[in-house]
Amino acid sequence: MDMNEIKEIFFQECEEQLAELESGLLKLNDGDRDPETVNAVFRAVHSIKGGAGAFGLDDLVSFAHVFETTLDCVRSNKLEPSQDVLKVMLKSADILADLVTASRDGGSVEEGRSRGLVKELEALARGELPSGGAAPAEAPKPQPAKAAPAKAAAPAPAAPSDDSGFQPIPFTFEGFGEEEQTLEPSVFEVIFKPRRELYAKGNEAALLLRDLSRVGEMSINCDVDQLPAFDKMDPEAAYFSWTILVKTSKGEQDIRSVFEFAEWDCDLDVKVQESTAEELPMIPVPFDLSALDDEGAEEDNESSDDHSAMESAAAAAVAAAETASNVTRLAASRAEKKESQAAAAAAAAAANANANNSAGQTIRVDLDRVDRLINLVGELVINQAMLSQSVIENDNNGTSSINMGLEELQQLTREIQDSVMAIRAQPVKPVFQRMSRIVREVADMVGKSIRLVTEGENTEVDKTVIDKLAEPLTHMIRNAVDHGIESPEKREAAGKNPEGTVKLTAKHRSGRIVIELVDDGAGINRERVRQKAIDNDLIAADSNLTDEEIDNLIFMPGFSTADKISDISGRGVGMDVVKRSIQALGGRITISSRPGQGSTFTMSLPLTLAVLDGMVVTVAGQTLVVPLTAIVETLQPEASSIHSFGANQRLISIRNSFCPLVDVGRILNFRGTQANPVEGVALLVESEGGGQRALMVDAIQGQRQVVIKSLEANYTHVPGIAAATILGDGRVALILDVDAVVAASRGQSLRQDGVLKSDMSLAATG
Amino acid sequence: MASRKAQTESLTLVSVLDLNEASVLHGQLTNMRGTDLKIDASGVERVGVQCVQVLMAAASAWEQDKKEFVFEKVSDAFRKTMQLIGIDIEHLLAKEIRQ
Repeated sequence: MDMNEIKEIFFQECEEQLAELESGLLKLNDGDRDPETVNAVFRAVHSIKGGAGAFGLDDLVSFAHVFETTLDCVRSNKLEPSQDVLKVMLKSADILADLVTASRDGGSVEEGRSRGLVKELEALARGELPSGGAAPAEAPKPQPAKAAPAKAAAPAPAAPSDDSGFQPIPFTFEGFGEEEQTLEPSVFEVIFKPRRELYAKGNEAALLLRDLSRVGEMSINCDVDQLPAFDKMDPEAAYFSWTILVKTSKGEQDIRSVFEFAEWDCDLDVKVQESTAEELPMIPVPFDLSALDDEGAEEDNESSDDHSAMESAAAAAVAAAETASNVTRLAASRAEKKESQAAAAAAAAAANANANNSAGQTIRVDLDRVDRLINLVGELVINQAMLSQSVIENDNNGTSSINMGLEELQQLTREIQDSVMAIRAQPVKPVFQRMSRIVREVADMVGKSIRLVTEGENTEVDKTVIDKLAEPLTHMIRNAVDHGIESPEKREAAGKNPEGTVKLTAKHRSGRIVIELVDDGAGINRERVRQKAIDNDLIAADSNLTDEEIDNLIFMPGFSTADKISDISGRGVGMDVVKRSIQALGGRITISSRPGQGSTFTMSLPLTLAVLDGMVVTVAGQTLVVPLTAIVETLQPEASSIHSFGANQRLISIRNSFCPLVDVGRILNFRGTQANPVEGVALLVESEGGGQRALMVDAIQGQRQVVIKSLEANYTHVPGIAAATILGDGRVALILDVDAVVAASRGQSLRQDGVLKSDMSLAATG
Repeated sequence: MASRKAQTESLTLVSVLDLNEASVLHGQLTNMRGTDLKIDASGVERVGVQCVQVLMAAASAWEQDKKEFVFEKVSDAFRKTMQLIGIDIEHLLAKEIRQ
């Protein structure tokens, strides 16, 4: 494995960490104060920093470090994670993501932005609250060393060029903040309980304690009570734990930083000791532990030299040469940090690997490989269907062994297919998370305050669907923020919460995934939409449209109501593109809007684009496949239960309720006349709107799993038809789009030319 | 387990008593159970907490068995590490080397 591969893995992990970071911050934003959430956020930044350090990605390291320092203040309850604070943090998370991308793909991040945020973060770490969340234009504090991390490439102002010939190592700025605070000596009580994993990952409690002893004067009590009897003990377990008193002029941070890379594998409690009356017998630890340094912890040979330099320098510092000593100490601690960090990064990586172990093992697989597998399985399914069909055709005396073998084969193919599909199923979470960033950025740009609420992020759907979902969703979110939600002043005037809400939900319904985007804005201004459509020659000035049809006008190509074209949306290439991308996925999009209360966009998409359980039926001599997920039951209608309704509508009574009868052959124009329901079969289907319809077909051929072949890709979109498939005998059968057919029938009942036709006209204009 | 011998055994600790050594050490000590034990820790350069755990558990096991468990010689590093991690081994040291 070469360096590039390792780097690639690092970036992949970064993405996971960034997702973790963002979801954690959003949770905090929603008022979650669980320390574990804060820890998770901290851990994410920390891991990115550690890995970036190993690869020498200085920009990333320095930004992550500042971010981490501020997060640490939150973690130690020094900083209340208020909305304003979190706003800065979320922006920082975005910058961090950009920096990761820039490090991976080359390119750079706007320096001004990151520098501004570094300042804000530092201000927060110092306990200054952000001024209304805006980038503070305040004069930078006279703390040259602190400003340095803003640009890692530039040598820190304090970088020494002293006689020792020390070269600044642009590695980490760890310790900048800490070095500056010299507090009155205080006594910290540290309770340190290593867990088994700590040792398993190659950390050594003794070394940690040695490092701790360097922070200050230390006395220790080892709790050996947990040690079991000799013959019952596990030599690799962790039994000892320690209570340590450290008298130091440094801060709690310095103590914690000793355990920096071990803290996930131990219970650590650091607090300022209040009562001096300590009952535990303490063994004082001598400050001179040079014997231990010499004992040859290889990684320490160099740093221990530096270390003694640091000590002597520290002693000298008491006299007068404060600056000089700081420099030396800094140098020493940096050199030391470099080594320990490299080792620790490896340990952290191992820790990650271990954490994954407990959460179920995963491997990363190239998506192409999975796709190839899925394609092959698709062919296998078709082949298996063909095989069984030819066996049935040629088999007159019913050789049972062949049939049994075939049945087993069928079951196996089925299982293979399910498993392969499960590989591709992914939660929609990453897409939803990306949206929260878009909401933040766009809202910032247009000066609105908007909250994105997401629900059902763990709903799983095929990876292809997820990938293709991001773009239309982005469009729609931008639209919702830019056009949908009103400005805070308008909202207040309308008696609404000045903070707008955009809600994004995902759920499974009747074998599809339904994604809803709800905003609580002004709703669609129908009068304006209508006028605009007339102005743009999209509709005739005298046309009489229902509210629903007016709403649907926004999906027309070249339509935009925004009076001024903004950077964000409103170039008129929005919603028609959205509609087309959704349709290309085999999905549908609908709007419902209530003036003054907001709009709801509902997208319904197939869960997978590869296979489908279907019922093969005959309609007017054609073979069609009806998705099984839509079918509730099938029944043979009796003449007595068919009732006419209006001019050409019929209802069927099923168990004392009436259900509209939909003549599939008629709607798809397979035949001109109405079929006799008594001669056919009725399929009771559940449509997306929730209602039930009885689809009338001529006969049922059987139930089969079919491999979906896209009509759009191979031919063109046909209204009422979702896709096509190849049957066992090699013929092509069309897969019925149940909802479109139902919608068409409903359109017919409302107006003579239904939605299906308007759909077609839209397609024609598009 | 080795047969119970009434004689005195001696054990020389290796120079690096790290995680890997803990099980080895545990095994060695298990085999020496029931004997008076003299331990030579003069060659120890580095000792990890887990080996200390094994040694301390052994010490109390030996105490229960009413057998001798003595560190005859210890290196400076061994002694200092013990001190660092807060384990008092003074009573386990041979009289000559007590400080």
